[in-house]
Order: sequence, then structure tokens, then C-alpha cells
Amino acid sequence: MVAQMIEGWNLVIGIEIHAQVNSKSKLFSSSPTDFGSKPNSQVSLIDAAMPGMLPVINKFCIEQAVKSGIGLNAKINKKSIFDRKNYFYQDLPQGYQISQYKDPIVGEGFVEIETENGQKKIGVERLHLEQDAGKSLHDQDPNFTFVDLNRSGIALMEIVSKPDMNSPEEAVEYVRKVRSILRYLGTCDGNMEQGSLRADVNVSVNKPGNELGTRCEIKNLNSFKFIHAAIVYEAKRQIKLIEQGDSVNQETRLFNTQSGETRSMRSKEDAHDYRYFPDPDLLPLTLDDDWIKGLQDSIPELPDQIKERFINEYSLSSYDANIIVSDKATSEYFEDVVKNRNPKLVTTWVTGELFSILNKKNLIIEDSPITSKQLGELVDSIENGKISNRQAKEVLEEMCESGKGALEIIDEKGLSQISDENEIESLVDNVLNSNPENVKKYKNGKDKLFGFFVGEAMKLSKGKANPKIVNDLIKKKLSQ
Amino acid sequence: MEFDKKSLLKLGKLARISISDDKLNNLSTDLNSILEFVDQLKDIKTDQVDPTSNSLNQKLEVRDDKVDTKNSAEDILENAPEKEMDFFVVPKVIE
Repeated sequence: MVAQMIEGWNLVIGIEIHAQVNSKSKLFSSSPTDFGSKPNSQVSLIDAAMPGMLPVINKFCIEQAVKSGIGLNAKINKKSIFDRKNYFYQDLPQGYQISQYKDPIVGEGFVEIETENGQKKIGVERLHLEQDAGKSLHDQDPNFTFVDLNRSGIALMEIVSKPDMNSPEEAVEYVRKVRSILRYLGTCDGNMEQGSLRADVNVSVNKPGNELGTRCEIKNLNSFKFIHAAIVYEAKRQIKLIEQGDSVNQETRLFNTQSGETRSMRSKEDAHDYRYFPDPDLLPLTLDDDWIKGLQDSIPELPDQIKERFINEYSLSSYDANIIVSDKATSEYFEDVVKNRNPKLVTTWVTGELFSILNKKNLIIEDSPITSKQLGELVDSIENGKISNRQAKEVLEEMCESGKGALEIIDEKGLSQISDENEIESLVDNVLNSNPENVKKYKNGKDKLFGFFVGEAMKLSKGKANPKIVNDLIKKKLSQ
Repeated sequence: MEFDKKSLLKLGKLARISISDDKLNNLSTDLNSILEFVDQLKDIKTDQVDPTSNSLNQKLEVRDDKVDTKNSAEDILENAPEKEMDFFVVPKVIE
């Protein structure tokens, strides 16, 4: 539907991601960064911009920015500078945001995303460190705005992409990928609901071959769904304007999550005159080669590498590997289960049955009611023929409800499959001996009766006999 | 560079400082003489010199990622002209 509407038009999308550094204290003060605390309870005199206060930078935040840069295949700048971005707003007590302008800590890099036309490289323009602003509440009182400065001064990494995305799907994939990399690195928790990761999306449309259109920026999107919806709406809106003979104004817009529409923020005159200049309170940040090298060596395996490894080591399909590595917790869970087990069976049970249970219960894998060890036991029971696939599904559901282990449930329910050849042989003999007529007919060419014998033997075992062994034995006996 | 009245009014607006008409002329003269003074720096040849963002020849001091809460919401709101339910209260801002 999106493609139809946009047919004949080029979509150009660039994204700024604001990712909160996973630090205990703020970028330039020792205030805590906990989410959901009492308003204004995490505000130091620095955060409140009291006169005479001086910012001192958090070493951990510098490390996280550099690590993230390495994860984004980017150039680490050995010298970077903090600037003041000046604007007047009630949730910015300093009257300026400390950010990085001309000399960011991280330069150009890229990430690879999966698209329907295969792999695509999305350029990263830069990553810089900056302070978050406070929070304004406009709906508490008809005449006043309420301000909470708890978020003021928290360290953000702003990751700016090149305008390399051409569809809402690519935009979502890009944000997913960056989020996944940051989560693997542990530099940002990626919690979009709590605002730890949010995206500003720049959208423009043009006719193929023509020059780029005027772009609009949609601010503060905090879910993949909203990113997608906002881009679709915005592209449609711009195309409609141009087709009517109007032009697109370059402006900042807000996405209304209720109506799914974007609307212009009341145009702020001179809003973009930020008068950046180097912050005189902060010296240039210099990094030395050995220190950067040390961080490079500490980088864990990232999703692209793990995907490669899963494909080589466990013969996973690219599709399955992608699903598993897109989330750090999922790939860790998978690796826990797959150790010394059949990868194909484990993949099916993790991405199929387990995921469907988690989806139904609206849980993330970290909160899975079934631990990786428990799922492993279940897979073992299938692998060694103790229970059938069908029985295993039943057991999994029971595990989820009761929290009991697979073996315990199999015992309790008497589900255990009979795989003992002697036991099954006596069952088969019993069936064949009590049906001499049918045996005769079969031997005279009535092949269809084979199923009858299998059915009888299974019935006799109350469904517990291993069907494969039953089949093999009947075949063997009837051919004697 | 020269400050005309228009750019002076714009600067005042950005800084939320109102400048009355009778002060505009004096202020403009003052600012321009400051700029003229600073403009002397342009005579120095700097094409071989890296931009200087800070004249102190020192490394940036850093601190460890440790939480140290020295004040409560009550402390921080003490000087606020208007407060309610632990929030700062300001005139309605609509976007």
C-alpha cells in the first residue's frame, strides 16, 4: 500500500538517534540517572545551572561513546570539542545545551541492514556526546507548564545517519540495527518506552532524476511503529502538497501518536540560530592511541559477526540467524540451548514454539517463564525419542504454566514415549497374532493394511510407542 | 563585521533581553567599538595555526561514574518563584 502511494516518487530519509548512555551518573554532574524518580530529586546545582557551577565530564560516558563509535565502524577522533548550543527554553536551565558541533568524538562510519533487495550499507555521519534537557509537562494545569529537571544533563549519544534510507522499512531496520549494536555493546539499554532511545526522522520526496526535495524533521519518535507511521504520513503529505502545486516548507513537525498525523510545531522564529561556540568551561577532549586500542580489544562479538558464526558453526539459514542475533538476549539464550544439541531442532523450538508463547504472553525473552536450561531438557527429550514433537508442544505449554521441568511433566503425565525395542516388539507380535486374516491379505498384496497394523500397535501402547520403531518392526516382521 | 540595529534587536530577542529604542543607538555604538577592537586579531596570520578552542594548555579533567546526591527536590526548588508537587511552574508553553 505504501509502495503504491509512493509510486513514481523517491523517498529520502535521514535519521538522528538520541541514545542515552548507560551511565549511573550524568554527563557533567554526579546526579543519578534513574528512570521514574520523584520530580526534581536528581538535580544537582550544576544541572539546575546555579551560578558558578562547573561541569566535570564523566569518564565512563567518554568510553561508551568511543565503544559505540567502534561498533558503528566509525572513525574515532582523537581530539573533540564541546560547544554551547544556545537557545531559550524552560527545560534548559543553562540557556544552552553542551553538545559537540564541528569536532565530534566520533566521525564517519556505517551499519549494514537487511532489505528486501539484500544487504544495504547505511552511512553514519557522526556520533557526538551531549546533554539531555529536562521534561516539560503541559497537561497538568490549564495555565501553567510544569518542569522536571531529573533528565537535565543526562548523557546522550546523538548518532546522525547519512540520508541513505529510501523507505519506511529501511528506516525502521536502520534504527533496529543501531539499537541492537548499542545493546550488544552495553552502551545504551535501548529502552524506547522509557525514552532511552528516540529518533528524529528527516523526510523528503522528489521525482527520480530531479534534485532532492525540501525536508521536514519529525521529532522524538519512540517506537518502531511510530517511526514507520510518521514516515508514511509525512511522505504522503509532502507528495500531496507538491501534486497540488504547493511547496513543502522546511520545518520541524511533531507526530501525534493518537491520530497518526504529523503537525507543524509552532514555527519558532530564529529557532535555528544556535550561535554555537566552544564551551569555555571545558577543555578539548583528547584521546590517546593506547587507550583507544584498549577499548577496541574489549569490544564483544557484535550481531553481524555472531550471525556469520551461527551460519558457519550451526548451519543456520541467514533468515533464522538474523532473527536470533537481532536481540542480544535471544542470541545468548539460543547459544545456551544449542550447546551440544541439534541446531536445527533448537532453532525450531526457540524461534517457533518459544517465541509464539512469549508473543502470546507479551513477554520479552529476558522474562521467559522457561529458562534456556529447561528448554534444553525438552529438546533432549525429543532428540532421544522420549517424547514426540506433538507431545513436546503439550509439555512446553505445561512448563510455561506450572514452571515445572520437562522431565517432571513427562513423568507426571506418563507421556514418556516407549522406545524400548523389546517392549515394542511384543506389542507388534500381539497385533499381528490377533489379526491373522489381515496379515494374510497384506501378504497377498493389500499394502494399505500396513497403516492398520501401525494404528493397532499405537492404540495398544496408548499412543506412547515410538512410531518410527513401530513402523520399522512391522515392516520387518511382515516381510519375513 | 558591524552591528546594525536589526541584528542588535535579533540578538536581544534570542537572549530574551528587551532593548528600548532610546538605548539602541548607544548600544550599537558600544558593541561596534568592541568588535572593532577585537577585529585587530584578523591582522595576525593564522593560516598555519590550528583553531584554538581553549587557550589553557592542559588536559580535560575527568571524573569516575559515581553517584553523589547532595541535594533533595526541596533544596533545588527552594529558589523557584513558583512550584507545585515538586515541579518548577512556569507560564504555559504551547508548541
